[in-house]
Amino acid sequence: MPVSDDESRPFRPKLRAGARFGAEAAQRPILMFEDVYKSYRPGAPVLRGMNLVIERGEFVFFTGASGAGKSTLLRLLYRAEMVDEGRILFMGRDVARLTHDSIPFLRRNIGCVFQDFKLVESWSVYENVAITLEVLGLPQRLIRARVGEALERVGLNGRGHDPAGVLSGGEQQRVAIARAIVGEPALLLADEPTGNLDPQLAIDILGLFEEIHEGGTTVIFATHDRTLLEIRPRRVVVLDAGKAMDVRAGVATPEKDGDFDNELPL
Amino acid sequence: MIDLSSATTRRAKRGLLREWRLHVLSVFSLSVAFVCLAAALLVVTNLQAVEKRWAHAGRASIYLKDDATSGDVQQLKDALSKVQGVTAVHYVSSGQARESFTTTDDPNGVLASLPAEAFPASIEIDVASDVTDDGLTEVVGKLRKLPAVDDVETYQSWTDRLARLVRGGVAASALLAVIVLLSVLAVVGSTMRFALQRRRAEVEVLRLVGATDRFVKAPFVIEGSLQGALGAIGAIILLGALFIIVHSRLDGELALLLGVEPSFLPWPVAVGMVALGAMLGATAASLGLRKLVHV
Repeated sequence: MPVSDDESRPFRPKLRAGARFGAEAAQRPILMFEDVYKSYRPGAPVLRGMNLVIERGEFVFFTGASGAGKSTLLRLLYRAEMVDEGRILFMGRDVARLTHDSIPFLRRNIGCVFQDFKLVESWSVYENVAITLEVLGLPQRLIRARVGEALERVGLNGRGHDPAGVLSGGEQQRVAIARAIVGEPALLLADEPTGNLDPQLAIDILGLFEEIHEGGTTVIFATHDRTLLEIRPRRVVVLDAGKAMDVRAGVATPEKDGDFDNELPL
Repeated sequence: MIDLSSATTRRAKRGLLREWRLHVLSVFSLSVAFVCLAAALLVVTNLQAVEKRWAHAGRASIYLKDDATSGDVQQLKDALSKVQGVTAVHYVSSGQARESFTTTDDPNGVLASLPAEAFPASIEIDVASDVTDDGLTEVVGKLRKLPAVDDVETYQSWTDRLARLVRGGVAASALLAVIVLLSVLAVVGSTMRFALQRRRAEVEVLRLVGATDRFVKAPFVIEGSLQGALGAIGAIILLGALFIIVHSRLDGELALLLGVEPSFLPWPVAVGMVALGAMLGATAASLGLRKLVHV
């Protein structure tokens, strides 16, 4: 299991303004799924008693056929959906039991990246990224500095004034990633982030997630693209028949891209 | 509470600029609604001035009995001259009254055929404007008891009619205010819901990055508030223009007819209307967005 240098830092999750956490919170897994059930139609559950533990600092691929529940799982995590049964513990707190007013504070700890980017096309690149920090009420000077850093990390330095709508797909996804990481969330969720990109761009974007992960962020990357799974030696969880199966444990960061040759039993 | 941070005002400004056609249409609709209220308030304001003027009309006619002698008349005139607040006393004989009516109000000579009793002699008195209604009533009560006096007309009935008219105007204004309130709620609420639909992507992003309901709503509430205030300002400008046109053409006639100079809405009323518009707009936007887009 990857362990980053940031593990040594005191861990202070904030799901609600003013909430205090004991030191033991740092020892808990970042995510625990306990007997999670979810269905949209009676008799056709998407998740059937799913159990899974994700430790802090992990990089986990979620994969499975279309409709297996990858997106549902992520939506449950950031409380766009509610579990029917079971618990999802994020930093030790049951996501399902959060009040409506606490949900924004949960989401401030989770960065999300989607296949369709979910950018406001009429806004500039800067505005799309800065909104994450404006929501937190940070001063503009600090926002400018941190957005600048985030854009530099995703390779969009100097593109802040460009309208998001005129960027290429790959660039738009980079903006979405910058928006997701600028608040330094504990967890980064990516729902098919390479689904709209060509293979080379997909690999580039995956590389970006790897770099972010190296900074200590836990990453959950949902994809059905086997190529991506095969070129990175990360933990792979397959969603099948409403349950999660660990099919490959994560290994240490590879020395270079593409040197991992492991046929997955998918 | 509205979050008035720079990010919020910037988002509100951006929303106003992006959806300016929608907002202009909304402001125009609100102006039409507010113009009705403002017009009613204008009428009430001027009716109140007329009522006040006529409440202190400062005139009374003391009709004398047919058998009143010249001695009675002189005695009465002397007594009235000494009453505090009476500024002038003028005797009108029966013949003078007939002459006055037949020359001004009787072009066909119908009044001229009436008997002499139809035009009783009277004493017309002018009363100082600071004499209250109660004071005048007291004097009239005393006058009615005098043997030579038949009846006293103080024009109180006119004042009463005007007061009833003012009360009716106030009631109509209150009704119009309710209609305006409902219009503002409907117009601003619909506009904001429509704007929300058009900015669904923005709201979705805000939700994703952890914006609270208040943060999401704040720019819409500011936009609604501005719409309400601009609607009221538009109505005042429109009504002001109409007032100037009417005032310039009918100034003399109106003043002669009403006895007072017509006036526009007092500035506290105008400011109050703008404040009411802003408050209603903010409330309407807030209520219209009760159910935000959930992500």
